[in-house]
Amino acid sequence: MLDNLRQDFINKTTQLVVVNRELEVVDSDNNLFDISKNSDITDFHPFFFALTTIFDEELQEETFFCVQMEVLGKHYFIDIKTYIGEDGDTLVLILNDLTDHYKTVHQIKQVRNESIINFNISQELNQQLEIQRSFKNKFLANVSHEIRTPLNSIVGFISVLENTEISREQLDVLHIIKDSSKNLVTILDDLMDISKIEAGKLDIKKRRFDFREFVEKLAKTYQIRTDDKRLSFDFELSSKIPRFLVGDHLRINQVIVNLLENALKYTHQGGIKFSVTTSSVNARRIPVTFEVTDTGIGIPKEKLDSIFDSFTQLEKRGLFGGSGLGLSIVKQLTDLLESDLEVKSVEGEGSTFSFTVFMGVSHNQKKEKVAKKKRDKKDLKGAKRPRILLGEDVEVNQLLMMRLFADYGAYSLDIAKNGERVVEYLDRFPYDLVILDLTMPVMDGLDAAVQIRNSSNKKVSKLPIIALTARTSQEEQDAAKEAGMNAYLTKPIDADLLFSTIERLLSRYKRKDKVLEISEEEE
Amino acid sequence: MSVSKKIVLLGHFGVGKSSLLRRFVENTFSDNYVVTIGVHIMKKEVVVDASNKVTLIIWDVEGTDDFTKYRPSYLMGASSFVYVFDASRPVTYGDLKFNLGHLKEKHPNVPVHIIGNKVDLVDANEIKKALEEQEVQHSYLSSAKTGENVEQLFKDVAAQLLENA
Repeated sequence: MLDNLRQDFINKTTQLVVVNRELEVVDSDNNLFDISKNSDITDFHPFFFALTTIFDEELQEETFFCVQMEVLGKHYFIDIKTYIGEDGDTLVLILNDLTDHYKTVHQIKQVRNESIINFNISQELNQQLEIQRSFKNKFLANVSHEIRTPLNSIVGFISVLENTEISREQLDVLHIIKDSSKNLVTILDDLMDISKIEAGKLDIKKRRFDFREFVEKLAKTYQIRTDDKRLSFDFELSSKIPRFLVGDHLRINQVIVNLLENALKYTHQGGIKFSVTTSSVNARRIPVTFEVTDTGIGIPKEKLDSIFDSFTQLEKRGLFGGSGLGLSIVKQLTDLLESDLEVKSVEGEGSTFSFTVFMGVSHNQKKEKVAKKKRDKKDLKGAKRPRILLGEDVEVNQLLMMRLFADYGAYSLDIAKNGERVVEYLDRFPYDLVILDLTMPVMDGLDAAVQIRNSSNKKVSKLPIIALTARTSQEEQDAAKEAGMNAYLTKPIDADLLFSTIERLLSRYKRKDKVLEISEEEE
Repeated sequence: MSVSKKIVLLGHFGVGKSSLLRRFVENTFSDNYVVTIGVHIMKKEVVVDASNKVTLIIWDVEGTDDFTKYRPSYLMGASSFVYVFDASRPVTYGDLKFNLGHLKEKHPNVPVHIIGNKVDLVDANEIKKALEEQEVQHSYLSSAKTGENVEQLFKDVAAQLLENA
């Protein structure tokens, strides 16, 4: 019985071969392979060249696991054991066929190795993408800074010119220059936003705001814009939507403005419809649907998928201008707002863009009475004017600020050409507020702010500080906040925003009995 | 003069050792990755010059990222090692220096040829820079896919074996 079992289970998978030092086959039971006596065993398979080493090194016993052999078109996995014979001149080989076992091992390793390799490749790709992304962002930040610096003086001096006595014709030209400059600023902002979104650095900040007022103001603006272009403008705001909602009004505004600008750009006759509706009432969170419909040039079916890509413009002949970033930002912002942007369009007839954002309904629907202080320059004339120190190295920017402050008239302004000078002036003279450019020679704005905050003189260390810079990245804003700055304004200077910020910080400074908390940065 | 010499292909898995071997012996190539388990052995005669030939017995050993785990029986009796890495996957050459040190320690008399395979997928200059950083001198950048430098590298190995014979 054992002989039969041996025949069935062992003999079929094991072969015994004896070879001499010349690697000639002395004997073989040929259970697995037909290996002729007296033949050179290396002719059967090149593995057996290894036997020379076993003889040379007199290795009494050795095992070679999982040797692959192809014999008569069939693939085998064999474990081979070798023993030097008692005479020392022969070698006994035991070939053990473990093909079935190794085939299973092979399948497992195939899956394992493939997944590790794919992981390596995706990791490598991610690293490369990250390098490219960071290079692109740095490049964009630098380009933005370089363009904003001269743009600052263009926009600033336009405001100065506006307040001078100029003819109606000159004023019209000035407005064209002003609009073009604003467009340039928008393109720069869009570029920076795109890179922020791609880098995952743009957050949604939800706040309570007067939703109805916000939408009505937007509609008013575009009523005027469409009138100018002799287009109709229909506006619908559902009465079911409460006045005060909680959401990111800045980002929602950005999406709607982009959609309305897009509609305006591509519509030459007919009109635009802007509607804001909701499908639900009396809930703590309501879906608000914004829809912009135009009778413009429409979008060809085959291009519907690509309109949200950066730098894609339907009209490539340059008739409509723009950076082509608008719709890409819209798509990415609606994604951030957890909303789906839908587009329906028929070429030659027009398009409808819509998106729905879930917004919180504020418990408090009452409008706060804000006692607005009107800025009255005349009132301030008699009083002692707050003294402001500006750290700014670029001469043209110094000149612009001097003009803006002179026109405004409510403050006295001193200018220091770098951070070191700012610190020196503060030691010598009393000031009420400091404005710092971030990029300055000798000592930059951030270092100067740190020095001010570390001053042993409390009147200096508690002074409100405004950063005024052409650098717009979130990293720079974070760094300014960390250095103890109270507000962050970007160039080109928005004079209204600058003075309202100064006013706000000064009143807070006084109210808190000259103990100022570090406030949130300006939007 | 005609001799037979064992050489062993070493390196991480998926770097193209088997593809190099098939390109050299059979002049074939497949994009499909098939894992080698254990060892696959092929031979080919290389004519070094008019009077000298070497039969290379090439052991294509299962790839691993841990060279300390190679079975001694696979490396035993080798006249030369060919260390293959994948030029498109830094993880396969990031530990080159360490692995070379291990081979030198265990097999001090066996020369090692370093081959960067899949060079068709990368910028060769980048790889050269990366190897310079590791202070490692490669022998060839090859491509089993295009055949670039495959014949040449095995011929160089054979010629060196003859010199050392």
